[in-house]
Amino acid sequence: MEDLAHAAIEAAITTGSTFADVRIENTVTTIIEMTDGVTKKSIASRLKGAGIRAFIDGAWAFAQTTDLTIKGMRGTGESVAKLAKATKSKVNEKFQMDGPVFNDKIRFKPKKPFSDISVEEKIDYIKRIDEQPRAYDKRIVNTRTVYGDLWTELYIANSLGTCVSLENALPRIISVSTAKDGTNRQRAFKSYGVRGGFEKMELEQPQTIGQESAKIAIDLLSSVSAKGGTHDVIMDPVLNGVMVHEAFGHACEADNWPAHTTVLEDKVGECVGPDHLNLSDNPTMPGERGSFEYDWEGTKSKKRKLVKDGVLTELLHTLETAIRLDMEPNGAARAQSFMHVPLARMSNTLMEPGDWDVEEMIADTKDGVLLCSFNYGYTDPSKGQFMFQASHGYLIDNGEIGQMVRDVSLAGQILDVLAKIDAVGNDFRMDAGTCGKNGQMIPDMSGGPHARIRSIPVGGM
Amino acid sequence: MKEELLGIAERAVKKAEGFGADQVEVYTSSSRTFSIEVENNSIKSASEQRDAGCGIRSVVGKKIGFAYVTTVQEDDLLEAAEMSVRLAKASLPDPDFVTLPSFDGAYPEVKGLYDQEIVDLDSEEVADIIIRAVDAARFRLEGMNVAVEAKVSSSTGTKVIVNSLGINGSADTTSIWMYTEPIIKEDGEQTSSYEVQLSRNLKEIHPEWIGKASAENTLSNLGAKIIEGGELPVVLAPFAVDTILGGGFAGAVNAEEVQYGRSYIADALGEEVSAQHLRIVDDGIMESGIGSRSFDAEGHPSQRTEILDNGVLKSLLHNSYTANKDNIESTGNASRAGYSGVPSISSSNFIVAPGKGTLDDLISEVGKGVLCRFTGDRPNMTTGDLSAMIMEGSYFENGEIKHPLRNTLIGINMRDLLKRVEMVGADTRVAFSIISPSVVIRSAQVTSG
Repeated sequence: MEDLAHAAIEAAITTGSTFADVRIENTVTTIIEMTDGVTKKSIASRLKGAGIRAFIDGAWAFAQTTDLTIKGMRGTGESVAKLAKATKSKVNEKFQMDGPVFNDKIRFKPKKPFSDISVEEKIDYIKRIDEQPRAYDKRIVNTRTVYGDLWTELYIANSLGTCVSLENALPRIISVSTAKDGTNRQRAFKSYGVRGGFEKMELEQPQTIGQESAKIAIDLLSSVSAKGGTHDVIMDPVLNGVMVHEAFGHACEADNWPAHTTVLEDKVGECVGPDHLNLSDNPTMPGERGSFEYDWEGTKSKKRKLVKDGVLTELLHTLETAIRLDMEPNGAARAQSFMHVPLARMSNTLMEPGDWDVEEMIADTKDGVLLCSFNYGYTDPSKGQFMFQASHGYLIDNGEIGQMVRDVSLAGQILDVLAKIDAVGNDFRMDAGTCGKNGQMIPDMSGGPHARIRSIPVGGM
Repeated sequence: MKEELLGIAERAVKKAEGFGADQVEVYTSSSRTFSIEVENNSIKSASEQRDAGCGIRSVVGKKIGFAYVTTVQEDDLLEAAEMSVRLAKASLPDPDFVTLPSFDGAYPEVKGLYDQEIVDLDSEEVADIIIRAVDAARFRLEGMNVAVEAKVSSSTGTKVIVNSLGINGSADTTSIWMYTEPIIKEDGEQTSSYEVQLSRNLKEIHPEWIGKASAENTLSNLGAKIIEGGELPVVLAPFAVDTILGGGFAGAVNAEEVQYGRSYIADALGEEVSAQHLRIVDDGIMESGIGSRSFDAEGHPSQRTEILDNGVLKSLLHNSYTANKDNIESTGNASRAGYSGVPSISSSNFIVAPGKGTLDDLISEVGKGVLCRFTGDRPNMTTGDLSAMIMEGSYFENGEIKHPLRNTLIGINMRDLLKRVEMVGADTRVAFSIISPSVVIRSAQVTSG
């Protein structure tokens, strides 16, 4: 590995680059999707190749190769450096790359590696979960269970001297249930994802998600569409995590600063929310799906306190953004695969717990809605606008939980949503997710305690 | 390249058969994508991605396995072939699976999918195209605090599908897309918008138009306000039609979703589901179409399929599996994300037939309502409930645009939305997955606050 990486780096530097880096990846995945007890998709894959970047005076070039020979790596190193050279004359803002140097070998040893579990065993496992919704209620008309495991070996080196090799193992299970009663159709999904081997899939929580998705789908049969309007909203931990991710996390990605694409541009060191509010992004949490020891540029990862006591204190950095903003690199560069350029990304994003008892928070809400779980969300940091959708919720009437509602959307402004959070719960939970940016999908987690937002527009039918 | 890939595919079929597959399908492709990115008005990076890989689908009885690899090297192909057969053997039989498709006729000829000018583009020319667009945006916004973000990406590729039942298709295609997104700061307010073109031919990309239009879109977003909500008419401009109908309706007429009872449109084939003047076809063989191809992702010939006519749902979108299950002919809508995906179903060119009038005409006719130019939201595909944030849009009154909107959502069930289509404009354009004019919805719940 080392000689391949160095062949590419040396070729790039000799051709005129002032900085170059290489990621060599070997990833094996298995995805099995079962529907109504039948395996619909059984997919195995191997991703094998190298991504090479060259840099001169502010100009970047990127290329990938699957020719993992000394000759192939040298050739790609040379051509990517030539492309950087050609780009150099068109760049306005010149700067030089620098950063901390790391040399490390991380070995990740799960108790039960995915390769030790036969396909038959994995299919048996999925079958047991896929049967749960049908056993739960006869109104379940369709089940879908998706199991995925991913084993990655990654080698990262750069011309500053960093050489890091990493291993990672990510299993995931998703259950989707569709319920039907007359013409009333409802759908619900539950997922579980962590960092570890197959042993994590044998815990109780992943093994009962079929039942859980079925329960929500059946409950949804007696739900009503939410009425649109401005409401006080209590978010459950899962939805709160999505809020932190969409409404704030993306806007903290430091590549937004040189590009001037975030409404937070002038807010570093400023108050962005109430002083009881703390938001973090933490890739060092053990066993979480968004955790890693080093990022995809080979920088050691650390916890990022994005918002501390209501003040925006830290951003999510790549080596480049740290240099350009004159801040400390914190290991937030991530890429979907060797075919992609590392970008500033989140890992495990969360709101730190506060001191409200959840029951008290609900009792304290006269007229509002408790929103749970999520369908999806998105944001545009350059406009400062975001939206996300809860999969279901419950009306709160005079401090008491009432009628179930479904598909409730929330829209808001990045700059004023945090100020509207007036109660933060003392509970905490994280949920697995996948985050997209510039066409790159990466595994992540988000979560927090229950929290209340005052008067926010809620979409309805 | 074509012959090389055909050779690879044919050898891979034999390999999987050697491991015990009854039927085998191999999809292999090779592409070169060159892109340039602009940050804060200036070029920042360039990339050249050469990607070649191979996906193998093996069938053993009624059991199916799939494996892919990101190379086309012999030992990797052997491993993928073996894995696909091993997965097939371990899988549970699918009683509804009949067979992989077969076809021995001639594929329809589709013109305009390959442009030698894109193949011949060098990095200097690509840089020139994007700089012209960025400069046009800056020129229109002169004197303002502006940072333009932009990207151009041109691709050439070859794909090959071979199966053990005689399918043997290969095609060369090109494509190019470019967007510019100016971000402006004016009196303490920050906003942005974009404009984009995508095409199979270089001459259909107009850098100056993209830049200028993106600047004008951005200016129209300044001064956003909330409004008093309620039941209001909604005008969907083509990009909003793309997410709501291109995503939210094309996905509902996906035969697999309907067969499993997961679609809000289930059980409606042959019934009246929309207003009469909403006509939609899926056309896989239109000249130069971004979604056009001679054959689909399983090698079944492409065709033109009527989806909505006179308000009646005429057909669903099928691949070979769902067609066999319903005992009908496939509509040639098998799709896959290149060599790395198993065939699923999607629209090719989803086309809303034009009616009359420009966007301004529609607004003037409707009088009072909201215009949604862009949203990222799709409906819940099972219930049809749509709760969409107006990411970019305006409030209009007395037939005139009053101001842009912030924190505003529209809510409506898709079944109602289809029935409430009151007018269809003639301002047709390509908007990602759909080719559509603006569409007027009689009323929807608008929430703003």
